[in-house]
Amino acid sequence: MRAAGEIGLATHTIWERVLEQAVREGEAVYYLELSEVTFVDVAGAGALAAAAERLGDGRRLVVRRPPTALSRVLEMFWPDLSTIEVSMS
Amino acid sequence: MSTAAGTSNALSDPFLHPALFYRDDQEYLDGTVPFVREGLAAGEPVAVAVPEDRLRLIRDGLGADARNVRLLDMREAGRNPGRIIPGVLRAFADTVPAGRRARIIGEPIWAGRSTAEYPACVQHEALINAAFRGRAATVLCPYDAVRLPARVLEDAHITHPAVVPAGSRSARPSAAYAPDAAVARYNEPLPLVADTMTYPFVADTLPEARHAATDEGRRLGLTGLTLEDLTLAVAELTTNSVVHGGGSGVLRIWGEGGHVLCEVRDRGRMTDPLAGRRPATRDQRGGRGLLMVNLLADLVRVHTGDEGTTIRCWFSR
Repeated sequence: MRAAGEIGLATHTIWERVLEQAVREGEAVYYLELSEVTFVDVAGAGALAAAAERLGDGRRLVVRRPPTALSRVLEMFWPDLSTIEVSMS
Repeated sequence: MSTAAGTSNALSDPFLHPALFYRDDQEYLDGTVPFVREGLAAGEPVAVAVPEDRLRLIRDGLGADARNVRLLDMREAGRNPGRIIPGVLRAFADTVPAGRRARIIGEPIWAGRSTAEYPACVQHEALINAAFRGRAATVLCPYDAVRLPARVLEDAHITHPAVVPAGSRSARPSAAYAPDAAVARYNEPLPLVADTMTYPFVADTLPEARHAATDEGRRLGLTGLTLEDLTLAVAELTTNSVVHGGGSGVLRIWGEGGHVLCEVRDRGRMTDPLAGRRPATRDQRGGRGLLMVNLLADLVRVHTGDEGTTIRCWFSR
């Protein structure tokens, strides 16, 4: 899945729908390409963390090239969330 | 030695929050080191969050015992008084196993706190009581009775249910204790500042308001992570105005001495004095915006009332 633009109040609903789909699809690894996302607010980061927590055993979300703000917010509030992997490649 | 026991403001409340007045290094050590040792002897987790020079005194006074104590420089960890409860006190106390008492020395007010910081310091001290109500914890707050102005020492009697007078070894109840009155008294208006970047916003213009803030922050000398902190804070404050503060607000950014300030005014009223001061629980969905602003900014001041709410944040440049 590839997202572009900004994740904020106006786009939370669609962002949560995308994450819901990721949880439902059931693949072991789900890739989120975020290199063209320029900003994610705290609620957007929270939705991502909540989705990651709902993944079952052995599954994970790989977040590719997220904006630095997202990595910082995840580190601030969900430092030990093992089901999200931030990939810079 | 009963400093540790303090005096509970209500017989049923296990939380103790004594202020300790000291006049010199020896009184400081007499009031703090035995307090720490009593905790360690009782198997209680102990943290000390005080300014660096005071921290060194306690560390030396404890000797080998210092290794068993969590030591924090309050000038860094608690620069913004609004983040001391979630980021220092509760961050430590909430890790303590059930059935054990958390024991903390927290010194949030030192000579040299600015006039802009001081109202936030008093509100923080007052709100500790609400944030810890019903918890098995002791937070001992040292006050420099020589270098701090008389008004600060008077305020400490209002924000603490018990005080340990200078040179004394035991706590007595504070007759002046009235934490809600202290919160209200220091809910001071934040007058409009002239010559700022001013950006009125509504839901549809939230992204533009944030971009304007980033551009202005950069122009005023913020770079790297600090510029990002400003951006994140502005995003949360402006979104809060749209969602909780009447649907719109006015963002202002300006420079003042060594800081860049951002301010958001809206028509909402904050009714929860602990908003932004409770640590987030892991599975809590929303409600982290104001907490994050407290964690990122060097100072957050709030004025709220019937006419609306103003939140002003300082970022070092």
